[in-house]
Amino acid sequence: MQYNVTVIGSGPGGYVAAIRCAQLGFKTAIIEKYDTLGGTCLNVGCIPSKALLDSSEHFINAKEHFAEHGIDIPSPKVNIGQMIKRKGDVVKANVDGIAFLMKKNKIDVHKGIGSFVDKNTIKVTSADGKETTLTTEKVIIATGSKPTPLPFAPFDKKRIISSTEALELKEVPKHMIVIGGGVIGMELGSVYARIGSKVTVVEFLDSLIPTMDGTLGKELQKIAKKMGMDLFLGHKVTAVESKGNEVIVKAEPKNGGNAIELKGDYCLVSIGRRPYTDGLGLDKVGIDTVKGQIPVDDHLKTKVDNIYAIGDVVRGAMLAHKAEEEGVFVAEKLAGQKPHIHYQLIPGVVYTWPEVASVGYTEEQLKEQGRAYKVGSFPYKALGRARASMDTDGLVKILADKQSDEILGVHIIGARAADMIAAGVTAMEFRASAEDVARMSHAHPTYMEAVKEACLAATANRAIHM
Amino acid sequence: MALQVKVPAVGESISEVTIANWLKKDGDTVQLDEVIAELESDKATFELTAQSAGVLKIVKQQGETVPIGEVICEIESNGQATQPAKTQSTTPVSTGQSTPKATGGVKEMKVPAVGESITEVTISTWLKKDGDVVQIDDIIAEVESDKATFELPAEATGILRIVAKEKETLPIGGLICKIEITDGAPVSSAKSSSTPATSNNSGDKTYAAGHPSPAAAKILDEKGIQSSQVQGTGVGGRITKDDAQKAQSTPAKTENKSAATPPVIASGGTRGERREKMTSLRKTIAKRLVSVKNETAMLTTFNEVDMKPVMDLRSRYKDQFKEKYGVGLGFMSFFAKAVCAALKEFPAVNASIDKDEVIFHDYCDISIAVSTPRGLVVPVIRNAESLSFNQIESEVVRLATRGRDGKLSIEEMTGGTFSITNGGVFGSMLSTPILNPPQSAILGMHNIVERAVVKNGEVVVRPIMYLALSYDHRIVDGRESVSFLVRVKEMLEDPGRLILGV
Repeated sequence: MQYNVTVIGSGPGGYVAAIRCAQLGFKTAIIEKYDTLGGTCLNVGCIPSKALLDSSEHFINAKEHFAEHGIDIPSPKVNIGQMIKRKGDVVKANVDGIAFLMKKNKIDVHKGIGSFVDKNTIKVTSADGKETTLTTEKVIIATGSKPTPLPFAPFDKKRIISSTEALELKEVPKHMIVIGGGVIGMELGSVYARIGSKVTVVEFLDSLIPTMDGTLGKELQKIAKKMGMDLFLGHKVTAVESKGNEVIVKAEPKNGGNAIELKGDYCLVSIGRRPYTDGLGLDKVGIDTVKGQIPVDDHLKTKVDNIYAIGDVVRGAMLAHKAEEEGVFVAEKLAGQKPHIHYQLIPGVVYTWPEVASVGYTEEQLKEQGRAYKVGSFPYKALGRARASMDTDGLVKILADKQSDEILGVHIIGARAADMIAAGVTAMEFRASAEDVARMSHAHPTYMEAVKEACLAATANRAIHM
Repeated sequence: MALQVKVPAVGESISEVTIANWLKKDGDTVQLDEVIAELESDKATFELTAQSAGVLKIVKQQGETVPIGEVICEIESNGQATQPAKTQSTTPVSTGQSTPKATGGVKEMKVPAVGESITEVTISTWLKKDGDVVQIDDIIAEVESDKATFELPAEATGILRIVAKEKETLPIGGLICKIEITDGAPVSSAKSSSTPATSNNSGDKTYAAGHPSPAAAKILDEKGIQSSQVQGTGVGGRITKDDAQKAQSTPAKTENKSAATPPVIASGGTRGERREKMTSLRKTIAKRLVSVKNETAMLTTFNEVDMKPVMDLRSRYKDQFKEKYGVGLGFMSFFAKAVCAALKEFPAVNASIDKDEVIFHDYCDISIAVSTPRGLVVPVIRNAESLSFNQIESEVVRLATRGRDGKLSIEEMTGGTFSITNGGVFGSMLSTPILNPPQSAILGMHNIVERAVVKNGEVVVRPIMYLALSYDHRIVDGRESVSFLVRVKEMLEDPGRLILGV
């Protein structure tokens, strides 16, 4: 079969690239090794974890907040089987949606493992061993990433688990030990903490979500403690041992001190993800990976002229929306257009409750650059809407250039942060100043008012409601 | 109101200065033009004077390194802010839309010290009109010295009163204009004096002026238009999608002219062209080269040199030379020494005209032309007549490296008495160099080519370089210039003469 463009991998990078290619008039194929389309994000990542996060949030509301709202119900119980089933339904609806979009855009879906024969030929081997050969002018590699195991404790997928298994548990863990206090660890840790598990987080660095602005990490730490999580920051895990129904995790403070030993029934290892290129046959086209990643130039082109790579397999943040932008970018490049991606303005989001979201420079980065900046922040506590909803944890922090007042960073922790950050991206794409945003009308009562107030604070320390 | 004192532009290649010494303390009352601090660049130390009278508030501490344009301190002009607006009624405000309140304070803007050797500057363009309301830091004029063009930012917010007209030349410290200080910008309110007015007024220049929206950026790129070529109509001068869609790569003005160009013949090749704004350095170079052609009586005399003796000498000793001095033995030292010796014999070639007088120089400061990514620069080898071969060679290497790195200071490029340019490195066979004013002569070196020449009645092959000497016939006569070049030739063809001085 003959194609203009073949996309390998159907995650958010791959399927978006395929759709954009089809929109631009290319005859397009997409290859997926799993039964369902959508990749990590739709099957074992963003979507299912959000499904469980919402379920756990409903549970905690029913358990702890309904009474105060004046709703009396008998003490609610978790039905983990139903929770996982509903999550499965949500996933199915989404992946079916992708299958529909492929059909609608006349994209040929080939199920199986795609592997280069040469730079214009790809062999697809399906689960039953059947081989199909595709010839193609251009290739977009979008094979994504896999959870990284601890070198001394591989996943046994029963007690030492990755995020994938954590989304499929049959029981509520009694004590879940989370290794790695980054995005995935905190998201899934908070799910299980809310539905009744004791959750202990061991993190090597000295703060949670260490790549984000320090204020957010500190706030999240407070909120996690309030939720009853135990946090061991600055601890290095030295051993993980599975003994049937028990997991023992040993760790020691990296700066010296007494070692700890934790006993739990599940250990979630969420120390990061690694680019996935197994079976792709990169050697057939002469591409060497560097630290697992496929090297690309500014146009996301590999060293081979007709082969591009996007998403988690290339440099940059491992985020679905980053992969999507890159998918569109490459498709448009292939059509001779000249799109842009501002990597600095790709937002980072953590779906704990409350959510954490951020775009632009962190305060730590500005300090390091020696840039003169101003800070304006506004707490959710002072927000009418937040009080009405009893979501008073969190704050909005705006960083702006001291001289020009241009917004350099927007950092939010609090309810709806993930949705609100889009306004920060818009403002920064247009290089708005803090005062620009402060002078725009924000509907009342909304959470977004906190952004306006923080901008007022950044402009000239003149927040109204503080 | 507080006047922010910024690091002045002290020279072309200087991007930052270090605060060597605060001569006044935080909170001191300072007088206008009083020296308040000593600043150091990588080339020189200079003094910072108070740009108004008032109370000093130090922002940057001693020892800190501060980029050009950064605020070093603030001067709170005492009294002025509280004084009633005396001049308000007599101040006609030309911008009908708003009436900024005059505070009675008047900021006199004087020509800043832009470099050690620069004594005067010329106002090349006024970017604001007399009576315009200007914001602090708005670029109000372009000023040029004989080395470079720089921008003059408003030192206060208020109404501009122009004193020096365009094309007028002023000494350092001369009065350029006055700004009648008004309190605050017309649009923004309250405490926003520290932040720029965020313009409801699309004409305002802000930091975001010319910033294209995401969609606009893509469209412009596809059209091959730089955002700097598009006038943004969005808030603060931002470029909207509509601006980008309407932008045209070829200005409409030139279309009339194209009627005169030959008809387009359909062919496979692309016929794109692009327009770039000339940099101020380029503009200065262009203007100066034309003025030399117009204002001097320049002509060129030629000769040829048999380079064999120099080349023989060089190949014999170059290893020893390199070993002893750590620098290669090139041709430049031979030429510089020969030129210095010849200049002693023909002082007019080493002289310059200053109005009705001729200045003769007892020393030979040799400017050498160096090609850099930013254009041609001419650093100077000082007192070349008293330097040894190795000293000249190392100085050439040092200056050329600094030139290529863009690190040459104005002092290093000022004040030569004679120039040498070597077009030979690019393969030039023969050229007529242009004078480097106020110098009166320039020697052009060219490539060395093996040519058939006649020696003692026989045709032999010799490495030959053509030499060109362009000179200002106003003060150098034909006899002197031709003899000068013959002397240079003689000494190069018999380097022994260099030692003996014959």
